[in-house]
Amino acid sequence: MRFSVSSSDFLKKLQVASGAINPNPVLPILEDFLFDIENNVLTISSTNLETTIITKLDVVADEGGKIAVPAKILLDTLKALPDQPITFAVDENGSGIELTSDYGKYKLAGDNPEDFPETPAEENVDHITLDAWVLANAINKTLFATSSDELRLAMTGVYVQVDFNKIVFVATDAHKLVKYQYTEGIDSEVTNSFIMPKKALTLIKNVVTNESTVKLSYNSTNVFVDFGDTRMVCRLVDAKYPDYNAVIPVENPNLLTISRKDFQSSLKRIAIYANKTTNQVILNINDGSLTISAQDLDFSNEATEQLSCTYSGEPMTIGFNAKFLIEMLGILESDDVVFELSTPNRAGILMPSEQTDTDSEHLLMLVMPVMMSN
Amino acid sequence: MDAFFASVEQRDHPQLRGKPIAVGGNGGRGVVAAASYEARKYGVRSAMPSRLAKQKCPHLIFVPHRFDVYKSVSQEIRDIFYQYTDLVEPLSLDEAYLDVTINKPNHKSAIYIAEQIRKKILQQTQLTASAGVSINKFLAKVASDINKPNGLKVILPVEVEDFMKTLPIEKFFGVGKVTAQRLKAQNIRTGADLQKYTLIELVELFGKLGKYLYEVIHGNDHRIVKSNRVRKSFSIERTFDTNLETQNHIEAKIKELCLKLHTSMEDKGVKGKTINLKFRYADFTTYTRTKSYLDFMDDLDTLQNTACGLFINAWDGESSLRLIGIGYSKLNTEIPESQLQFPF
Repeated sequence: MRFSVSSSDFLKKLQVASGAINPNPVLPILEDFLFDIENNVLTISSTNLETTIITKLDVVADEGGKIAVPAKILLDTLKALPDQPITFAVDENGSGIELTSDYGKYKLAGDNPEDFPETPAEENVDHITLDAWVLANAINKTLFATSSDELRLAMTGVYVQVDFNKIVFVATDAHKLVKYQYTEGIDSEVTNSFIMPKKALTLIKNVVTNESTVKLSYNSTNVFVDFGDTRMVCRLVDAKYPDYNAVIPVENPNLLTISRKDFQSSLKRIAIYANKTTNQVILNINDGSLTISAQDLDFSNEATEQLSCTYSGEPMTIGFNAKFLIEMLGILESDDVVFELSTPNRAGILMPSEQTDTDSEHLLMLVMPVMMSN
Repeated sequence: MDAFFASVEQRDHPQLRGKPIAVGGNGGRGVVAAASYEARKYGVRSAMPSRLAKQKCPHLIFVPHRFDVYKSVSQEIRDIFYQYTDLVEPLSLDEAYLDVTINKPNHKSAIYIAEQIRKKILQQTQLTASAGVSINKFLAKVASDINKPNGLKVILPVEVEDFMKTLPIEKFFGVGKVTAQRLKAQNIRTGADLQKYTLIELVELFGKLGKYLYEVIHGNDHRIVKSNRVRKSFSIERTFDTNLETQNHIEAKIKELCLKLHTSMEDKGVKGKTINLKFRYADFTTYTRTKSYLDFMDDLDTLQNTACGLFINAWDGESSLRLIGIGYSKLNTEIPESQLQFPF
C-alpha cells in the first residue's frame, strides 16, 4: 500500500472515524483504523464493536492493499503537522508503515488487517431518508432525557419509531420524557421501531451537521446511518421499550401559558434556595399569576417569586424538580410555552405554545412531579 | 450460564432434555446460536453454520430462538447478582464480571459468594451456571470456563503463577485463531513459553498485544469491574503490606486516601452529605464510623479533618491497622424518593 494525500483532508476523515475508537487493552486491534485502498479511494474503518464508522477519502495511490494502523499515533502525528502533502507507505512484509512529510520520516508498526472485526452485513433492512438537520435536531431534543441506569437497558437509548409518513423519537429516564415527531418528506413502506444507543447518537450528532440528507437502514440488530461519504453502523439496544404512550395524559385540564425565558430565569434563581437533594420548587398557580417558591429547612433558606401568566383551570399547587424544568425549558425554542397539568401527583406536559397537530415538527415533553411534604 | 439459550430451551421443553439441540435457523445460511452439551460432544459449536452442524451431528434438533425469554432470564440472573454487589459488568446476556471485594452480605469469601450465587440461580431459574473466582478479571474469566458445566474454579493468589504456566495460549481472553497462529509460529504454546520473554521482546514481536500478554501473564490485570448503575456511595480502601502502627502514620495514610477519593469524585462532579470511615485492626475486627453534614460536601480539608476526627474518636490508641477505607454516601446524584416516576 502506498498513497499520497493532503494531511489536513486525511486528518479530518480520521477524526470522524476516531469517534468509534476507545482504549482497549484486551483487544488492541480495536485501537486501530483499518485502511483499505481500491481505485484511488481510501476506506477508513474503526469500531468498538458497538459502533462502526466507515468513511472514504480520495487519495493518489500507487499500490492498493489493506492494513490496520494504530489510531492514536497517526492522529497525533497529523495534528502536529501543518497542512502539506504526505505519503503513507507500507513495507513488503505488510506491517511496517512509513509516513513521509516535508520535514522527515515517521515509522510505526501496523497490525494484521485480518484481525480487524468484520463489519455487520446489511441484510433484510428497511430504509428511511430524512434531512440531516431533522436527525440532529431530534437527537439534541431527546438525548438529555435518556437514562443511565443499565438495569433499564431500553431507556438508555432513544426509541425511534418509523410509521409510514412520520418518524418519532422518544427518550425517558422514568422521571421525564420527550417525544419529538417529524412528518415532512418522510416516506416509509413499513412501520417499525428500534432503540439507538446514546453513545452512537452523540457521535452522529457531532458529524452529521454539515450534510444535507441522512439515510437510515435498519434491521433487528443494527442501524446503518449513511450521510455524505460516511457510514455508521450502530448495534441497536436489544430491549423492549416501555409503552410510553400509556403514560402521556390525554386530559390535563389546567393550562398554564407563560414566557419561556421568564419562567426559566425565575426557576434558576429560586432553585438556589431549594433543598439540594430534591431540588424541589413549588408552583402555585392562580388565575393570571404563577408563584414559584422553594425552601431548604436544613439551612432556613427560602425564596419566592411571582410571574404573570395566562391560566385556565382550577387553582393548584404542585412540586417539581427545578433542574428538570430548567433543562426542558432550555430545549424548547418558542417564546411562550404551555404547561398542561392535572393533579399534584400526575405528569405535566410541557410544549411550545403555538404548535398544532398539523405542524411538520411536533414536540412534547412530560415531567413527573415531586411529592410535596406538607 | 452453561449453554445458555440451549439450556433454556431444554428447561422449557422437557422432550428436548438429554438430546443434542441447537438454537438457531436450520435454513441454508443459518448459524448455530447455541448448542446443548449433548450436541457439543459431536463438535457442534456456536456460530457454526447450521449445515455444517447437521453434518457433524445428523440427528441434531434445531430449535428456533426465543430472545424475549432469554432476556427475561438474563434479567433474573442480574437481579441475583445485584443482591451481592452493585459492581456488576455484564459481558453478554449470560455472563458478567462481579467485583465482590466489598459485598452486600459482607462476607469475606468470594468463593462462598460464588457458590451462593450459583445455588440461587439454580433454585430460581432451574439452570446451571459456572463461575471463576480469582484476583483479577482475566483470571476469573479464564477460570469460569475450566469446570463448565455447573462448576466452580478458584485460582488462589498463590496458584496464579503455576496456573499461568500451564495455560494454553488459546485460552487467553483476547487471543483468537489468527493471533494464536502467530504466537505458535514463535513456539509460544503456553503461559510458561510466554513467561520466558521480556516485555520489550514481546512488544517487538506483537506490538500492543505483546504488552497485554506480558501484563496478564505476570498477573497485572488491573482493569476494574465497570458497572453503570446509579451509585449510592463512593469509596476507596487500602489493605497495607505492613500494618500501620503510629497515629502519625495512620493519619498520613488517611489524608492520602482522602486526597485520592477527593480527586476521583471531583472529576465526576459527585458530592456527598455523609462521610464514612472504615478501619480494620490486625486481628480483623472492623469498625465503621460516619458523620453527616447538612449540605453536599466536596471540600478536601473537611474530608481529611472529618476522617481523622472519626478515627481518633474510635481508635483504642494502640492497635495497629491493616486496612483503612474512606467514602462518601448520600450522593448528589441520587434521585430522592419523593420524585415520582412514570408507571412503566
